[in-house]
Amino acid sequence: MTVFGGEQATSLLATMWRIRLFEERVGQLARGGEIDGLIHLSTGQEGVAAAVCSQLRDDDHVYSGHRAHGHAIAKGAPLRAVMAELMGRDSGLCRGLGGSMHLVDAERGFMGATGVVGGNVPIALGSALAARLRGVDSVAVVFFGDGAVQAGHFNETVNLATLWRLPLVLVCENNGFAEFTPRSAHTVVERVSDVVAPYGLGRLTVDGNDVVATWDAFGGFLQSARGGGGPFLLECLTHRVRGHYEGDPGRYREAMDDGEWREKDPILRLERHGVAERWFTEDDARAVAAAAAEDVEEAVRFGRESAFPPPEIVEAMVYADA
Amino acid sequence: MAHELPYIAAILEAIQLEMERDESVLYFGQNMATTENEPFVDAFGRDRVRVTPISETAEIGIAVGAALAGFRPVVELYMAEFMLVAMDQVVNEAPRFRGMSGGQVKVPIVLKAGYGFTAGWAGQHTGTLNALFMGVPGLKVAVPSTAADAKGLMATAIRDDNPVVYLHHYLLTLEHGEVPDGEHLVPFGEAAVRREGSDVTIVGTGWTVDRALGAAERLAGEGIQAEVVDPRTIAPLDLQTILESVDKTGHLVLVDQATRHASVSTVIAGEVAEHGFGSLKAPIVQVTGLDATIPYSEPLEAYVLPDEDKVVAAVQRVLGTAPVTA
Amino acid sequence: MSSPQGVEKLEREHLVWIFRQMLRIREFEERVKRTFEDHPGVIRGHTHLADGAEASIVGSIATLGPDDQFFTTYRCHGYPIARGTDPQAIMAEIYGRRDGLCKGLGGSMHLTDVSNGFLGTSGIVGAGIPHATGAAWAAQIRGKGQVVLCFFGDGASKQGAFFESLNIASLWKLPIVFVMENNGYNVHTRTEQEDANRAAGEDLSVKAKAFSMPGVTIDGRDPLEVYESVRTAVARARSGEGPTLVESQMYRLSAHGNIIAPPGVPLHFPEHEAVEKFGAPEEYEAAKQGDPVPAFRGRLVADGVCSGEEADAIAQEVREEMQAAVGFGLESPFPEVETALEYVYA
Repeated sequence: MTVFGGEQATSLLATMWRIRLFEERVGQLARGGEIDGLIHLSTGQEGVAAAVCSQLRDDDHVYSGHRAHGHAIAKGAPLRAVMAELMGRDSGLCRGLGGSMHLVDAERGFMGATGVVGGNVPIALGSALAARLRGVDSVAVVFFGDGAVQAGHFNETVNLATLWRLPLVLVCENNGFAEFTPRSAHTVVERVSDVVAPYGLGRLTVDGNDVVATWDAFGGFLQSARGGGGPFLLECLTHRVRGHYEGDPGRYREAMDDGEWREKDPILRLERHGVAERWFTEDDARAVAAAAAEDVEEAVRFGRESAFPPPEIVEAMVYADA
Repeated sequence: MAHELPYIAAILEAIQLEMERDESVLYFGQNMATTENEPFVDAFGRDRVRVTPISETAEIGIAVGAALAGFRPVVELYMAEFMLVAMDQVVNEAPRFRGMSGGQVKVPIVLKAGYGFTAGWAGQHTGTLNALFMGVPGLKVAVPSTAADAKGLMATAIRDDNPVVYLHHYLLTLEHGEVPDGEHLVPFGEAAVRREGSDVTIVGTGWTVDRALGAAERLAGEGIQAEVVDPRTIAPLDLQTILESVDKTGHLVLVDQATRHASVSTVIAGEVAEHGFGSLKAPIVQVTGLDATIPYSEPLEAYVLPDEDKVVAAVQRVLGTAPVTA
Repeated sequence: MSSPQGVEKLEREHLVWIFRQMLRIREFEERVKRTFEDHPGVIRGHTHLADGAEASIVGSIATLGPDDQFFTTYRCHGYPIARGTDPQAIMAEIYGRRDGLCKGLGGSMHLTDVSNGFLGTSGIVGAGIPHATGAAWAAQIRGKGQVVLCFFGDGASKQGAFFESLNIASLWKLPIVFVMENNGYNVHTRTEQEDANRAAGEDLSVKAKAFSMPGVTIDGRDPLEVYESVRTAVARARSGEGPTLVESQMYRLSAHGNIIAPPGVPLHFPEHEAVEKFGAPEEYEAAKQGDPVPAFRGRLVADGVCSGEEADAIAQEVREEMQAAVGFGLESPFPEVETALEYVYA
C-alpha cells in the first residue's frame, strides 16, 4: 500500500478543487439557464470522491447515484466532457443523452450513475461478480447515500456479496439526510455500518471530511478486496453544504455557520494539514486551486462552443446492434 | 437435421449450446444448481451457473452489472410476475443504460420467465404482462410459440446485445415439436405465417397461436380460409408481414391472452388502423382475456380466457357470416 | 423439547386445545394431499402443505386476542384452521367451489378470512411482510391495542421487502411480531446456499440487529416454547415497545408443493427435497422422528395432562370433522362463471 505523502496530498487537493469549482460553476450555469434539469451538487463531500477514486484503476468499476459529478471527475472523466454533458452537447460524456444524473465514462471505469436511489448497488455487485469470474484483481466500488441503505435491494446485495465473497467496496456517504428527510426519520439505526452488522463483512465508519483518514481506510479495504477479502463497507460521515438539489429552499435543516464549516471543509482541512506536514506550501495550494479554476473555465468554454447532438441519435441509441 | 423435443427442453438446449459456444454466457436464478449432479453445473461449473436467494432486484441488478462488465447473463425468473418485484431493474435500469450513456455501454442480458400459467394458479402466477415490457424502449421481447422457435429465439436473445425479456408460455411447456439440430437462430422482428389463407388474418402470440390455428382448421370446414400470423417477437414487431396479410385478406382478428387494454393485440390494432386502414373491409375484432384477475376455479378461469370458440365467433363476426352481438 | 414449566403454567384445557388444533391442521392437510390421489383433477395449480409447522402455527395463533390480525404466506391452510375458520369452507376453496372461503376465486394459495382477522396472503415470496406492516400501522393509528402477526419463510428474508418493512416497523414502533418460519429449505435450495448468516453458521434472528430490534431463535416444533416466545413478543408489541423478530426453526415434512405441470399431467406430491434432490434420506428420516404432532401427544400423555384414550378420542373426532370437509367440498357446486368479473373493483 502506498504511503501517504506530498504527491498524494497535492493530487487529492487538486481533485477536490476541481470538483468544488466545477460544481460551483455548474450551480451558476444552472441558475442562468445554461444547464437543464435537476442538479445535485456534492459541495462539502468532495473528500470522499477524491480519496476513493484516486486509488482506483481504469479496470475498477465505479457506480454512483444522482449526486455523481464528483465521482466521475475523481475517476478521471475530463471536465470538458462532463460540462458539455451537463449542457446537453454532442461532445458530452454521453453525447447529451444522460445529463447530470446519468454520467457514464466506460473507458475510465466510471460505469454509471443512476437516478433511482440505491438502484446502482446490485448492479455494482454484478461488476464484482464479473471480476471474480475473470480471475482478475479488479474491484467494484459503489457510492450511495445513507438513504439508499433502507432500500431492500441494498440488503439483498449485502447478503449476496457476503455469501459469494465478492470484491465489492460499498462506500456510503452519510450526510445525515436522505433527500429532505433526516436519518432519524428513516431508521433507528444511527450508523450505516451497523445496518450490515448481521453480516460478517469488514466495515468502518470514518470522518469523510478528513480526506487522509478516508484515503487510509479505503486503501486498506481496497488492498484486501483485490486479494479476495471482500466485500467491505466504508461509511463516510460527511456534510452536504448545498440543498438536496439546486434551488432546494432547504427549510428542513439548519445551516451550518461559516466558522464551523471552515473547520469541517475537507479542502481547507487538507490545506491546513498539508502545510503543517510540509506536504506542500500555501503557494502550492493556491496554484493548485488556480489551475483547477482555469480548467473549469476551459470546460465551460468547450461546452458553450460544442454543438447540440443531432436529434436522430435518440433513436439510434435505444438498442445496441446485435 | 432435426430432432423432436418438448418446448422447455428446446429452450434449455439453446442455453446449453450458447454456453458451450461463448464462455461469457452465465445462467443463474433461484432454485437451480443446488446440487452437483445438475447438468448445467456439471457442464459449466459453479462459477457460471449459480443459485441465488429470493432477491429478484439483486438478481437482475447483478445481471445488469455483469453485462456492463462484459458478460451475457441469462436470469432464470420462472414466472413473469417475479419480475414485477424488480421493476426498477427491468424497466428503469437495464434498458436505460445504453441511451443514457450515449451508446458507450450495452446490457446484453436475457430475462427468462414463464407466463400465462392458467392451470389453477389463480391470481398472481397466471398473468400475461407481455405488452407491459413491449412498451419499454430498449427492451426486446420474444414470445415463442413452438419448440423450434423456443430454441432459436433463445439463442438469438443470448447473442443480442440488448436486454431481452424472453417469455415462454407455461401451457406449452411439454408441447413437442421438431427442433433443428445444432446452431439454430430465429431472427428477431420476423413474423412467421403459420397457415396461409385469403379470407381473414388471425394474429396470435405464444399460446394463442395454437388457439388461432385450431379455429382456422374449423373455419376451413365452413369454407373460410384463415391466415395465421405469429409475430414471434413483439419488440421488435414485424408489422410489415401483418399489413401484407391484411392487404390480402381485408379482415383482421387479433387473439391475446392478456386483458384487453394491456394486450399486444391493442397495439397491433392501433398500428393496422393507422397504416392499413385502406385494406380493411370490416372493423378489426380483438379476442382477449376478460378484464379480471384470473380466478382459481376451473370454469371461471376458462370463462375469462380466449379459446377456439371465441376465435371462430370473432372470425364469423368480422366476415359478416354471423350476427353481430354485443 | 424441554420446557416443562410451560406445561405447568398452562391450564389443561389450553394444552388440550393446542393439541387438538395441531391435529386438526395435520388431518386436514393429510386429506388435501390424499385428494390428489383419490380425486384427480379436483385440486389444480399449486398447493403447499405445512406438516411439521403445526406446533409453530398453533403456538403463535394461540397468543392472539379476538381483535388481533395476521398475514401468512401461500402455505396458509393451518392458520385459519387454528383461528376458528370453518375447515369446510377452506376445503371447498381448495377445490374451487362456490362455498369456498373466497368463493372459489383464490384457491389454496390465497385464503382470506377477514372476520377472523386473517387479512390475506400473497403468492409472491415476501410480499406479505409490508402488507402486515401496514396493517400494524393501521392498528397503531386506531389505538385499540391490536397486534398483527406476520408469518413468512426463511427464503423471504432475502427479499428487499423484508428489510424495508422491518426497518419501518422498528422505527415507528409498530405493534407487530415477525414470525420467520425457518424450515431449512426455500423450495429446494438449502438455507446455507442462499443466506450469508446461515452460511456463517448463525441463526437467522441475527438479522434483527440491523433494525435495533430484538431477535430470538426458538424450536418451532415445541408449541409451548413458541407460545411463550411469541406471547412475550406480542405483549411487547401491544405495550407500544415495537416489533420482534422470532425465528421459529422446524422441518417441512412434505415437499415444497405438488409437482408443477401443465393441464393433463396428473398432479401429485413428490418426495421431500432432501430425498429427491439431495440424496439424504437419513436427514428426512431424522426429521420425521422430531415430528411435532406425535411428540406433543406423547408429552401430554407422559405428563398426565390427558390419557392415551382421551388423545385417541380427540383424534377420532378430528378425523371425522376433516373427512366431512372433504365431502362438503366435493359436493359444493362450481361458482357461476360470471363471478369471475364480480370482484374486480370494489
